[in-house]
Amino acid sequence: MLENYFPILLFILVGLAVGLGPLVLGKIVSPHKPDSEKNSPYECGFEAFEDARMKFDVRYYLVAILFILFDLEIAFLFPWAVVLQEIGLAGFLAMMLFLLVLVVGFVYEWMKGALEWD
Amino acid sequence: MIFNDFIFYTLAAILLFAGIRVITTRNPVYAALHLVLAFFTAAGIWLLLEAEFLAIALVLVYVGAVMVLFLFVVMMLDINLDKLREGFWDYLPMAGTIGLLMAVEMVMILSGKYFAPTTVASKSADYSNTAELGRVLYTDYLLPFELASVVLLVAIIAAIVLTLRDRQDSKSMNPAEQVLVKKQDRLRIVKMDAVVETPSVEDPKADKEKS
Amino acid sequence: MEYIKTDLITALPELTVLFMAMFILLLDLFIKPKNRIVIYGLAQFTLLAAAYFTVVTYNPSVGYAFSNMFVDDPLADILKLMTFLGTSMMLVYTRQYMQQRGMFRGEYYAMVLFALLGMMIMISGQSLLTIYMGLELLSLCLYSLVAFDRDNARATEAAMKYFVLGALASGMLLYGMSMIYGMTGSLNVAEISSALLEMNTKNPVLILGLVFVVAGLAFKFGAVPFQMWVPDVYQGAPTSITLLIGSVPKFAAFAITIRLLAQGLQPLAVDWQDMLLIMAVLSIAIGNITAIAQTNLKRMLAYSTISHVGFLLFGFMSANLNGFASSMFYISAYVLMTLAGFGMILLLSRQGFEAENLDDLKGLNQRSPWAAFLMLITMFSMAGVPPTLGFYAKFTVLQAALQAGFIWAVVFAVVMAAIGAFYYLRVVKLMYFDAPKDNARISAPVDMQLVLSINAAALLLLGIMPQTLMQICGVAIVISLQ
Repeated sequence: MLENYFPILLFILVGLAVGLGPLVLGKIVSPHKPDSEKNSPYECGFEAFEDARMKFDVRYYLVAILFILFDLEIAFLFPWAVVLQEIGLAGFLAMMLFLLVLVVGFVYEWMKGALEWD
Repeated sequence: MIFNDFIFYTLAAILLFAGIRVITTRNPVYAALHLVLAFFTAAGIWLLLEAEFLAIALVLVYVGAVMVLFLFVVMMLDINLDKLREGFWDYLPMAGTIGLLMAVEMVMILSGKYFAPTTVASKSADYSNTAELGRVLYTDYLLPFELASVVLLVAIIAAIVLTLRDRQDSKSMNPAEQVLVKKQDRLRIVKMDAVVETPSVEDPKADKEKS
Repeated sequence: MEYIKTDLITALPELTVLFMAMFILLLDLFIKPKNRIVIYGLAQFTLLAAAYFTVVTYNPSVGYAFSNMFVDDPLADILKLMTFLGTSMMLVYTRQYMQQRGMFRGEYYAMVLFALLGMMIMISGQSLLTIYMGLELLSLCLYSLVAFDRDNARATEAAMKYFVLGALASGMLLYGMSMIYGMTGSLNVAEISSALLEMNTKNPVLILGLVFVVAGLAFKFGAVPFQMWVPDVYQGAPTSITLLIGSVPKFAAFAITIRLLAQGLQPLAVDWQDMLLIMAVLSIAIGNITAIAQTNLKRMLAYSTISHVGFLLFGFMSANLNGFASSMFYISAYVLMTLAGFGMILLLSRQGFEAENLDDLKGLNQRSPWAAFLMLITMFSMAGVPPTLGFYAKFTVLQAALQAGFIWAVVFAVVMAAIGAFYYLRVVKLMYFDAPKDNARISAPVDMQLVLSINAAALLLLGIMPQTLMQICGVAIVISLQ
């Protein structure tokens, strides 16, 4: 069973090698003469005006959390789709109730305007 | 089996390293990225246990969605790390003692004979972990499953109630309203008598002073 | 299909609350703000309907549903009815308060109903999984309700503390549950109990699991040493939400304690009795002594809650049916007293003014002898002055503990109760013997005045005639736990 994952493992290893190889090579082969001017951050030739990190609007958070919630909902759909034939009508209705509850949430956020940017 | 053990220990080592970096690194963005690494390796360990659905769900939900949220929040809060660390040395003796005590207790109990490794029968190649989960989740575990949807609904409501605000400074226009507007809504024709301005005969100097 | 039908009928009250909560949520989107009173009416109607279905489907035996994850026994039915009553009173008390502060919104009622659903699931939880899901549903609603007044920095801070500590408690509870599941191989509390009877109960992994479960429960109750969130959250939250947090969820916490400790982990009783003893004694001591130093009424009542939780644990500690019944009586009395206590704070508050300091009670008798008298009864009941309900409640739990042999702990509790009486009586002194500080007229809707009067009268009458309530608690416990 686990042997079936061997190609994936190989893929990960090769992917890591391809990704890390050039970095390591560059570090070893290239000339390396840092000085303070080279290492200092600058914006278009000027001194940096402010910290590169700035505050995000709280609305990004709202979009992200709504995304997570519906992402979770999708995660519940996969096993259901796989066994729908076996669990019959009862299983189907179970998922419909689940979806109904979340559709209520969806209608709520839509009508509240949570999906609009401004 | 030896090969599996090798992979397990490699993944576990990376997981531990990433976990430690999450709490020791100074930059919260790096901490979040290390957490991503930790999730990935945890998913790998779950794959080793043949829990495919959980492994994929972990990558999908945690790496795909939760970590995005983490990064947003880290960037949104603009945390001043030095301030956060202020009380560190004051709290260390107390917290360290309690943490150490708990760790020792847990190691004593959990590493003992109660968690001796047992060999699990290998499943056949067409065994589907996802189908197995599905068979019980929507029948035997119906109640917790439906409750999960209610918890998600409450989370939606809570997120909206707590963060959504009508923006007062919004300058956006509704095109539909703009198109539907009629002449009467905007234009008001007022009947007035014509007023003929008589040229003033006053001294132009005085006029200038007025203005 | 057939089994699902019977399951659904068993869970009819839960389904009612779920669908009505969703309906209210959607209706609020389409209703004009001035017609919001309809939402309030619907919420009250939901409680009534759920209570009706609970009574109609009542049977004096134990029934299971949803693959034994849900139990419908007299204990569940009676606790649910009490929860409906408490929630209904809470909605009456908080209506004007919410209206005056711009929080009279559909989401408030939807959230309260979802929290109620969480409590009902906890009360009927027969599996570790359902208990946990119900608890999370309740907690999530409460966290967001505390922050409901979102421009209030104090409330937001309280919500943050509540959330972080509550999440920690949930984690501990879940960790303990996973240990117990790992050792017994079952999530069902009845199966856990029978599995435990056949194994060595000195197994350290089980004890570890038990410690975490008890710690998680103590956190949710607010028992010392897990009490640190209680004062901050009680003080910081809007008073209406404090009223909610302090009152009905305690029924659900009581229920899961019964399910987990008395039904599931009864074979480990020797171990958890000691843990509860320590927490009970500490809660009574710290709750009562710290309350003396408070000047904020909400904070004082928070510490009073901690000491009440200590008394409640005395009933549990005896680990027999008599003790559980007395605990159930105590929790009913506690919820009635809390409703009255915070109801009074809501009554004295008005637009732009929160009557949350002790000084605000000064000379209440001159302003409104009626309000002062209600507060007098409430304070006497909380202090445990005979013949009020609080006295009888304290009497029964201490009696149960005495019969179980905890003599010194009971003596200590009585001494602490006497010390605690000081700060309750100080409130009475302020009301009757001091000059009023502000003379604003006390205005409250008629229904609130009426319900509050009935509430206070119940504290007095049930104290004089506690037999019926005591009998109900006894019967519920005996049928459900055997």
